Amino acid sequence: MTFLENYVFYVGAFGLVLIGLFTILVKRNLIKAIVGLAILDTGVNLFLISVGYLARGTAPIYTRAEQGAQPMVDPVPQALVLTAIVIGVAVLALALALAIRLYRHYGTLDLRKITEQRW
Amino acid sequence: MVNPVLLIVVPLGFAFLIPILSLLSKKIAKYIPPIPLCFNIVVSLLLLPRALENPVVVSIGGWQPGFSINLVAGPVGILLSAIVAFVGLLVSIYAVDYIREGATDRYHMLFLLLLTGATGVVLTGDIFNLFVFFEILCISSYALVAYAGDKAGIESAVKYLIQGAVGSSLLLIGIGLLYGLFGTLNMADIAKALQSPTSLPVFVPMALIISGLGVEAAMFPLNGWLPDAHSSAPSPVSAILSGIAIEVGLYAIARVVFTIFGLSIDSTSNFLMFLAVLGILTLLVGEMCALGQNNIKRMLAYSSIGQMGLILFALAMASSYAVAGGLFQLVSHTLAKALLFLTVGYMTYRTHSLDISALAGIGKRMPITSLAFTIGAFSLIGLPPFAGFPSKLLIVRAALATKECLFFVLIGGALLGTVIEAAYFFRVVQVLYFKDGNTNIARKQVPAVALIPIVIFVILIVGIGIYPKFITGLLNSAAAELLNRVDYIRNVLG
Repeated sequence: MTFLENYVFYVGAFGLVLIGLFTILVKRNLIKAIVGLAILDTGVNLFLISVGYLARGTAPIYTRAEQGAQPMVDPVPQALVLTAIVIGVAVLALALALAIRLYRHYGTLDLRKITEQRW
Repeated sequence: MVNPVLLIVVPLGFAFLIPILSLLSKKIAKYIPPIPLCFNIVVSLLLLPRALENPVVVSIGGWQPGFSINLVAGPVGILLSAIVAFVGLLVSIYAVDYIREGATDRYHMLFLLLLTGATGVVLTGDIFNLFVFFEILCISSYALVAYAGDKAGIESAVKYLIQGAVGSSLLLIGIGLLYGLFGTLNMADIAKALQSPTSLPVFVPMALIISGLGVEAAMFPLNGWLPDAHSSAPSPVSAILSGIAIEVGLYAIARVVFTIFGLSIDSTSNFLMFLAVLGILTLLVGEMCALGQNNIKRMLAYSSIGQMGLILFALAMASSYAVAGGLFQLVSHTLAKALLFLTVGYMTYRTHSLDISALAGIGKRMPITSLAFTIGAFSLIGLPPFAGFPSKLLIVRAALATKECLFFVLIGGALLGTVIEAAYFFRVVQVLYFKDGNTNIARKQVPAVALIPIVIFVILIVGIGIYPKFITGLLNSAAAELLNRVDYIRNVLG
């Protein structure tokens, strides 16, 4: 069990990524696929955060001069995640807007019935 | 002193200016995109002489390279940013007349954002920054594919969005793994720290990054979205997507493979061989599918897949000859495919149908447009007086110069693909000129605003085809920069 204790964030992050991928690949309802996309995004963000995580680390902000050296988490992945969250929100919003338009055209969100374009 | 940052800042600023200005007047939006794109061409050309001597490295915010986000404007970056701006300018002039329906101000804003993203990807020297610009490019292209709002457009945009978003997530996981390994996001810094590309901890992020970028670059098993998206989008958007967006994806793959991971053909890894096989597979699948199409825009979209495969194959040979050939093919494909989509845009506008058979007799009704289409098609096939001939010749010569049995076999596949390509393009040209068709179509040329870009594309294709030295010098130094990893690291980190 030490593996799980040491790497619990990575296990969780890749678990979420795999759940997201599974949902996108298997679910036939567009909204469910979009939810899968959201889970996938969350997994990736959690993974990025855990790359820079330090147990019992504090936020990397110097407020007082006498604070001295202490364990701090890596700030770069947090900045990356902030950007990635914004991008993820934009993609999800666009996906949902397209889903509404798709429903107006076809009257269904079942991806098996939306087959006008094919190879 | 011209700063490469301007190449990104100016189009971005103008893009966000469009919705504000269109509050004043709805008609003003369509005249704005050509301004920043003209500016970009001028800045690129001013930077070119300096970039040819030594890549121009700019660190944003004045931090040391390694801590800051930096832009690297070497020959490849400047060459591609100039092409992006140039093709973007011509297509935006075309769109002044072509885009009439819907929220036109938003179309022009998204169009500029797409080009900003493309310019950012080719200039950046920071891998996370590359991801961000890539997302700008992708999100605006999802929205542009759905611009017409019809059944086909929305359906293709949804497909494109889901596949693209999964690809981006894979790319981001790869970037996160690289950061975890090396503690830096600067490409030169990663390249310096990375010793062997074959060890498993390095191979996994490489595979993730390449498959993530491969979705946008239309590599074979990842390109299911492309024919739908490129054929359902409005024609100027198809021209930009086929001419710029997928090429930028391919550039990103080349940059990652050569600069960050430093793969070469004689190393112990045969990953580049795998990419070459994938390239030829992409080529053959694309051309075979194009052969069976009745819808002309779909045929062009499949032909784009084929061309991407050929470029990927050329880049994967990783000799300076072959990479120069690949970049040459990239340039000639950009010019020819943009031209084809622009001409097809007005032809199908007149016939009100995307069927190839409906184009019968158009050669007599719209002689200049048909001639332009024919020239574009011949250039893509690789017939002599046009730009596609020297580029394909260079690739074939490079493949024969490798003395590697696998590449001999693969170049045979590429030539087979060219024959198939000739078959379906000649069929369309035959329909255009030698079939009597609907005489009800008005004998009317395209409007002058749309004719200017078409004529400029034709002049360039013929010009480069007759005198390829015009561009080969630049391509050779671009190929040298792409392959020379040590110089790249030295230039960036000092």
